[in-house]
Amino acid sequence: MNENLFTSFSAPTILNQPATIPIILFPTLLILTSKHPTNNRLATIQQNLTQFTLKQMMTTHNAKGQTWSLMLMSLITFIAMTNLLGLLPYSFTPTTQLSMNLAMAIPLWAGTVVLGLRFKTKNSLAHLLPQGTPTPLIPMLVVIETISLLIQPMALAVRLTANITAGHLLMHLIGSAMLTLSTTNFSMTLLTSMLLALLTILEIAVALIQAYVFTLLISLYLYNNT
Amino acid sequence: MPQLDTSTWFTTIMTMLPTLYLIMQLKLLNTNHYQPPLTKNSNLQFHNTHWQPKWTKTCLPLSQPQQ
Repeated sequence: MNENLFTSFSAPTILNQPATIPIILFPTLLILTSKHPTNNRLATIQQNLTQFTLKQMMTTHNAKGQTWSLMLMSLITFIAMTNLLGLLPYSFTPTTQLSMNLAMAIPLWAGTVVLGLRFKTKNSLAHLLPQGTPTPLIPMLVVIETISLLIQPMALAVRLTANITAGHLLMHLIGSAMLTLSTTNFSMTLLTSMLLALLTILEIAVALIQAYVFTLLISLYLYNNT
Repeated sequence: MPQLDTSTWFTTIMTMLPTLYLIMQLKLLNTNHYQPPLTKNSNLQFHNTHWQPKWTKTCLPLSQPQQ
């Protein structure tokens, strides 16, 4: 049964060709671009959402941090769409792959750190020591703060992977439990189906929230370093 | 765990990089956010033109030099 549960997370292949390539590229097809001043409803909704998210996220940054707004907007759009599309049955969610999340987290985090070290060296190094620490504790605290800095990209990647994977696994488990219960004890099926419905709503929320958290943390690191 | 199978890591990462950094950003750049029309202050041309200068003589008799 372990093998069956986890096979939905292995990289899909069609005729031995990797199908991950079109699957990762697919969310970009859903973003509409048009040059007309007035569009249809879908395009207008997307534009309004983009503007709303942009305002929410980027107003707290100064001018230097706002140069990252395109990057952060594309990040949150990509992660949110990928997570939401993964909620469809039999689909593959690329954000369950640790490889992709690591490749997203490490360069972006490293970018914020390098930015801080290059332009505000003293300030960003000063973050390694909290204010008001007693003098004998300083070496140990510097080590601790360095470790907590170095663990940020790993935490970002693993957080996203684990949350989405766990949600999908839970839905698989409860769904298969429902199937076997439907033949033996029908009243439990109704209860379990309610549970599944609630879980689906939770998963929709989790999909959006995870995208938000990822982007928010990166923007926080950016804020500390610009 | 199939996520730790590193044979697919290269394909996934190399697909994600242009998707995220190139195509998504190009898509977002090509969405034009137009301002709704008529937001500019449209009464810039409005002057207090109750009378034109050429009517001043009839409208303001006191402005003429006293005779």
